[in-house]
Formats: sequence, C-alpha cells, structure tokens
Amino acid sequence: MLTFKQRLMTVAASVTAVTLAVLPVHAFVRDGDDAKTEDSKEEGDRYFAIQGGDIYTGTGEVLRGATLLSKNGKIDQIGYELYLPEGTETLDATGLRLYPGMVALSATANLSQGSFAQGLQLHDFVPHEDNHGICGECGKFYEEIVPGAVDPGEVSTTHLAAEGFRTDFDDSYDPFGGYLIMALGNGITSVQQSNAAIKLKRGEIDGVSLSESTMTSLPWSSSNPSGKADLRDKFRVANNYLVEFRRWEEAGNKDVKEPSKSGVDSRVLSILEGKTMARFTAYEQSDLLGIARLAQQYRFRPVIQGCTEGWIVADELGRAGAYAVVTPRTRRDPQEQLAHPNGSSIENAAILTAAGVQVAIVPANTSIDLGGTAGRDLLSLPLEAGFAIRGGLDERRALEGITVVPARLLGIDHRVGTLEIGKDADVVVTDGDLLHYQTFVQYTVIEGKLAYDKQKEIFYSHIRPRAEVEAVVDPGEEVIEVPEAAEGDEVSEEVEDHDEDAEEVIEEVVEE
Amino acid sequence: MVSGSDSPVNMKMRKLLFGLAGAIALTAPSFASDLYALKVRRAETVSHGTIEHAVLLIENGKIVTIGQDLEIERGIPVIDRSDLTVTPGFVDCYSRMGMNGGGPSGTYPWLQAKTELYPSEEVYGELAKLGVTTLGLYPPGNGIPGQAVAISTTGTSMDDMVLSDSAYLKSVVGSNSSSRSMLESAFEKVDKYKESVEKAREKWDKEMEKWEKDNKKKKDDEEKDPKPDPFQAPEPDGVASTMMKVLDGELHMMFGIRKAADYLHLVDFIKDREFEYSLRVPLRNDIDLYEVADKLGAAKRRVVMEPRLTIMAWTMRERNIPAELARAGAEVVLIPDNDSLGGAKEWRNDVGHLIKNGMDRQAALRAMTLAPAMELRLGDRLGSLEVGKDANLIFFDGDPFQPTTKLVSVMVGGEFVDTEDVR
Repeated sequence: MLTFKQRLMTVAASVTAVTLAVLPVHAFVRDGDDAKTEDSKEEGDRYFAIQGGDIYTGTGEVLRGATLLSKNGKIDQIGYELYLPEGTETLDATGLRLYPGMVALSATANLSQGSFAQGLQLHDFVPHEDNHGICGECGKFYEEIVPGAVDPGEVSTTHLAAEGFRTDFDDSYDPFGGYLIMALGNGITSVQQSNAAIKLKRGEIDGVSLSESTMTSLPWSSSNPSGKADLRDKFRVANNYLVEFRRWEEAGNKDVKEPSKSGVDSRVLSILEGKTMARFTAYEQSDLLGIARLAQQYRFRPVIQGCTEGWIVADELGRAGAYAVVTPRTRRDPQEQLAHPNGSSIENAAILTAAGVQVAIVPANTSIDLGGTAGRDLLSLPLEAGFAIRGGLDERRALEGITVVPARLLGIDHRVGTLEIGKDADVVVTDGDLLHYQTFVQYTVIEGKLAYDKQKEIFYSHIRPRAEVEAVVDPGEEVIEVPEAAEGDEVSEEVEDHDEDAEEVIEEVVEE
Repeated sequence: MVSGSDSPVNMKMRKLLFGLAGAIALTAPSFASDLYALKVRRAETVSHGTIEHAVLLIENGKIVTIGQDLEIERGIPVIDRSDLTVTPGFVDCYSRMGMNGGGPSGTYPWLQAKTELYPSEEVYGELAKLGVTTLGLYPPGNGIPGQAVAISTTGTSMDDMVLSDSAYLKSVVGSNSSSRSMLESAFEKVDKYKESVEKAREKWDKEMEKWEKDNKKKKDDEEKDPKPDPFQAPEPDGVASTMMKVLDGELHMMFGIRKAADYLHLVDFIKDREFEYSLRVPLRNDIDLYEVADKLGAAKRRVVMEPRLTIMAWTMRERNIPAELARAGAEVVLIPDNDSLGGAKEWRNDVGHLIKNGMDRQAALRAMTLAPAMELRLGDRLGSLEVGKDANLIFFDGDPFQPTTKLVSVMVGGEFVDTEDVR
C-alpha cells in the first residue's frame, strides 16, 4: 500500500513523533494549571489506555505497536512503554489500527435526535386533540405529544448560558439512538447538525455541543444574476461600513458619531469581520470563478460545497484560499458542444489539493440509508475518500478530508480531527486501513470512554466476528518451545496435555 | 399486625387484640355491620407476603387484624370464604375514564381534575365490579396541566368518592429546550414569590421600627400613632403556590416522558432542586427505557406504564421493560393496557403475561395495588392487606393471574360490591 519511500518517511516521522510524545506534558502546562491537575488527581482522574495498536495520528505520523493514554477524556500521551497510572482502564489493540474519529458534515438529524422508532422523528408527530397524536406517515396513534416539539432540522438557536457553551442540542440530544450507534460503528465521532457541531457521546448528554457552526450560507448561481448583483452590493456596503468604522475607531475621537450600521447586512458583515465563514453551493466553473473573485476582492475565505468543476479553476480557488466540500464520486458528464473543459473529474480533489484548496469530503447522501444501496450514505465516508485517492489524492490528505478539514470548517479542530496530545481522545480502532473497503471499526472511543464495541452491538457483530485473543497461536513460538519441553521433561502435566497437539502438528510439518 | 409465625409474642398480641375486639362487640349491639371476621383460603397481602388460611377482622371498613388461622372470638360474625383467595383492590392511578375533552397546553398547575368529575358516571361502578376499587384521574393537556384526583369507584357523590383532590401534579416533558424553560420558569415563580415576601417583610420591619421610634419619644399622655397592621405576606399566585407545595413535599410531580434520553434531560432540567417525582412512560415498540434502568433503579424511581412487552429497536426481540426496571430496583406501577372497561377486564391477564416473561410475581401484584396507591399518596390507606388499611378486597377462586380464575366478588370499605354479571 505504501511505497518504500513513503515507508521510510513514515518511520522518520514516527521517530520524531515519539520524541515529541514522550516529552513530559507538564512542561507545556502553566504552573497554575499544573497545580490544578494535581488537586483533581485526588478526586480520581480517569485514565484509559489503548495499547499495542498502530497509531495513525492523522498528522502524517504512524507509531507502530504504540500506546495512546488518555486522561479525563483528553489525550495525555502517545508513545511506547508509557507509565500507566493505577486504575487505568485498558483496551488491547494489538494488530489493530488507531485513527482519529471522523467528522461528518451536514449529517442527518437522526444521529443526535434519537430514532428508537425507526424512521420516525419528532416532526412526524402531528398533534391531535388532547395530549395524543397521530404519526403523519404511518397513521399510528401515539399518546402524549411533547410540548413544543420541533422539527429537529430547525433546532438551531444557540446561546451562551451561564454554565458555559450550550446549543439547543444540549436539551434534545439522544445518547441511545440506533443511528448514533451505527455512526460510531462506522468511525464517525463528531457531526455537524444544522448550525452546531455535536460530539456523538454514548449514554450521556453532558457537553455534547462542541461549537455553534460559524457558517453562513450565501446564494451564488449563474441562473440568478440579480441575486449575485445583490450579494455583491451587500459586500460593498458592508465593506464600506467596516472601512469607515475602523477609521473612526483608529481616530479615537469620541465627539464624532460612530458610523451607522443601517443598510448593512449583518450576515455579510460578520463574514468580513471574520466571525463566520461564508458558505456557497456551486458546481460550475463560472460560478466558482465568481465566488473566488468575490472572496479575493473582499478578503474572506469561502467554503464551496459541491465544487464539481473546481479542478478546472483550481488555481483561482487556491489563490482565494477557498475550502471545498466535495463528493469525489459525483459524475457530471461534459457537454461536448462546449469548447473549454467542463464536467466532473475524479481527479477533482487531488487537483484542488495541489492548488492549495483544503478539501473536505462528504458522501452524496448525508443521511443514514438502510435501503441496501452500498456506500452512498453517511456511513461510507472512507469509501468516498477512497474515490479521491483513485483520482490521485494522497492517502494522508484523503484522511484529513474526513477528519481534520471538516473539523476546521466547524471550528473544532482544536479538539478533534487528529490524535495529538491535549486533544479529545476520540479514537477509532479498526482492523485494517481505514480507507480499505473491507475494513471494520472494532472499537470507537469517545473522550476516553469505550462507546462502541463491534462484538457487542447487533449491527455488524455477525460479519467476520473478532477472533478471541486466546485462540491466536503464534506458530513461531511453538516451534521453539516444544522441542525444549520434550528434551527437558520439566513441563507440568497441564502444559504437556496442551503441547501434545502442537507436537503432532510439528511432526507433520517435519514429515512434509 | 401480621401473624405468619406462632411466636409467643404474637400469641399474646393476638389474645389481647381479640379481647379488645370482644369487648367492643359486647358494648356495641349493632356490631354485625361494624365488626366481622373474614376467613379465606389465602390472602395476598402485598406488603407482608402470602398468608395461607388467613383470617381478617374488619371493623368500620378497616382491617383491624390479619393473620394465619386466628381464633375468632365468640359472637363475632364470620364470613367464611375458605375456598377463595383475596388480594387488595386494584388501583389504577392513571386514567381518564368517565371524563372527556381536551385540556390546555401550558403551565396551569393549580387546575384540578376533580372539577371534571361526574360522580354518577356509570363507568366507575362497573370498574369497581372488576376489582378496580381506586382510580387516579389525571388532568388532560400538555405542559403542567394540573393535579390528578384520586377517587373510590364506589359511591354516588363527590364527598363519597374523592379520596384526594391533589394526588399528583402532572407534567409532560421532552428532550427540548422548551421543556427546560417551562420547568425552569415554573420554579422561578417560587423564587420570585419568596423574594417578594422577603421584601414585604423588610418593608414592614422598617415601618415597625419607625413606629416604635416615633412613639418612644412621646409621653404616655400624648396620642400615639396607630400601630401598623400585623405582617401579612403577599398571596402567591396559582403557579407559585402549587410549585411551592411540590418543593415542600406536600405534592409530587408525575412527568410524562417518551424515551430514555428524556429522563437524562429531565434530571438535567431539575438540576439541584430536590422534590419527589415519578415518571409516566407510555410503552411502545422500540422504546429504549432499559438504557436508564440502572439509573431509575438507583433512584428507586416510580414509573407508571402499561403491562406490555416491547420490541427492542432494530431487532425482533421482545423486552420486558417493567420486569427489567423492577429487577433494577425501580418501583413499577402498572396501569391497564387500554384506558377502558375492556382494558380493566384484561388487566390482570396482561400483567400475568409479564410474569410469564420474567417479572417477579410479587412485584407485579404490587404494581397493581400498593405502588399505584403510593403514587396517589394513599399508600398508608390503600394498596395492601395491613392493619389500619381500608378493607378493599378482591375475591378470586384461584391465582388472580391465571386466565381460568374467576373474580367472585369485590369488597370496598368492608362492604361487598354487587359483582353478579362480571365474573
């Protein structure tokens, strides 16, 4: 899979990573914080270690057979022969791989709103007299409609409460839903829900909101020229206001009146102020070019969803500092009558990346589809990334496209997206390369707690069940041990019984 | 006073009690209606296990003693039903029977379902014949729609029937911020009211101080200012007064929730406020309440639900959630599967099905009697066969959960209910 050169690089990288990792963490912590952590130790810190797996940190490094130790949900150390404090819970990942949890953009509301009634969501309940209701879809009768039940897609207002950051998802999160478990079982640990980023915690509801997403959707389409002109105008007005305001601020003359905000579009202004990101949905090169120019003119970094013909104008997008949210498998046949290149290209993600565009990868359908269509729904993020690799994107960038780049777009890359010391211990443990089509997630760890174990959930436990660790026999060891035992006669009876079979096997081998 | 064993102490107590009973019998000539003994083959007391060959002494509609093979003082009339099993009368604490119409959606905790009660409604008498001797009727609506009324199913007037007009305060909450703000604002009213009382008190204290100061200077013969009126706290509004009762432990809340996550959010909404509450969870297929069984058990939470097996989400496996909750330590309250006479008829068989599927039989019987009685705050009066409790009894010709068993008769407050047509 990896070329020899790549391997060499990986080894070199892992050496640096080890040296970095083994450095005591305290060295980077301010004195006050250090004292604090020692205090809390008395109350019982929670340690969780994943041992013996190959750690793919998501930053390019790979540490083979290493250990990841988390403390109170944060990654504390990554490295070899780590000291595990007393009471550390351990998970054996020998022969397995560790990856950062995946981050899914525009994920279906089923994930965080629960789905114990399959396919039924809150908005399917139509209030009906009294406290009863009838499901709009199947006509089933339900008792007791929740007051103020809202369409989960519209749960959106975010606010800062006294106790810290909250979104309305904090009050509506369902930590037991089947779709949630399926997402965890496919390596997704954080998702975007309308305008918030949510951590997929299992069995608990505290602190699931990671951020309110700071994306503002703006229209831009060649089929709507007046809309484009309108938006350009809004940017012009907002920019003029901002220039005036800064001048006024710099002058510091309180006698002069503050510039008026009237007529200034608040959403556009927040983009220019860098508080939110502008998000466009555009596919065709002319639109993409328009967006790139608008972005360069007003100096903001656009997020472009779709970006199908991005490969044609990749350089322009790169110069504009654009982010692209692409679906590599998208097919859009070129129109033969056009003289210039057009249509989709499987190389889209690779070309965009080469031009400096950060590429996040989403599947064609961001809901969870159990209809049997393979790999087109939210659960097939790695498959989608695989298509980008087929188009020439390197593996590391492909992994970033489903981990740290979407995290960056949601403003949560300081907590998730890579396995680095200090970040959340959201780890996906797989039985192979994450981007291989046969790979299964064996364990998912959320903030240092085991949230998914393939063998214990009904969804995938029947497919290639995990072999018991005891059943794994290393033939190499047997060859060395058995002759010694036969010569020395010092083996206890119990062991002898066990070894007889092994001896036979070896005799057979010798005969052959 | 249960005498399962024949310890000397028990014997003594028994003699003493029967001596007393005898004395009463002698002095009161009309004893026949007031005091009598009841002999049955088996009494399922709910509170103290099963008593074989039980004798109950009933006076003025209350159980005055109960035990095994007790001697009955001469002169006390005996009703000998040594062929039958008795259980406490069934209590259905969550019903709308005999009531109709929708209700408001919002915060109206002071409203009482009692005002909707129509005592001469025939359905109550029919329920009594089926062994449902006590009924809890909840107010309709969402939010905090009001207080439930507990009634005896026999009787023809309000006074006869109503056992408690504020049995529990119903509320429906879900996993959403509107539920949070609904609860928070209801409790905030209490805080605000308490603040206003404090302020009024401060104001009054100042007035008093001023008055005392002004009048000290004056000599005895001088005319004094009129003394301020004694302090009167401002009246709380309906929300504050009811929610205050909840916080003071005079009234408990019953929260309707739909799924496991709702419970976690409810606990989060309530925060540090300490008050008693129970849960109402409609059981339907795919419900995931077992996810919080350990939490409900640890809190010994009372949970009101139907006797229903549910399909576990994503599978075709049946789960017995009432049994799982009971095992975890929660107080399970079972109500008829359908809020109708038909539902009441099938009730004991539905519960029997839960027992077949792994629910503890004692817990199941308790879930139809003592547990719902406690939910109605009538646990010291109803729900078990204990000394001092109402003689509400059901007579069966066998195990009440066995489909072939007939209900022979029902007794409410020591008097038989006409049960001819029921069986």
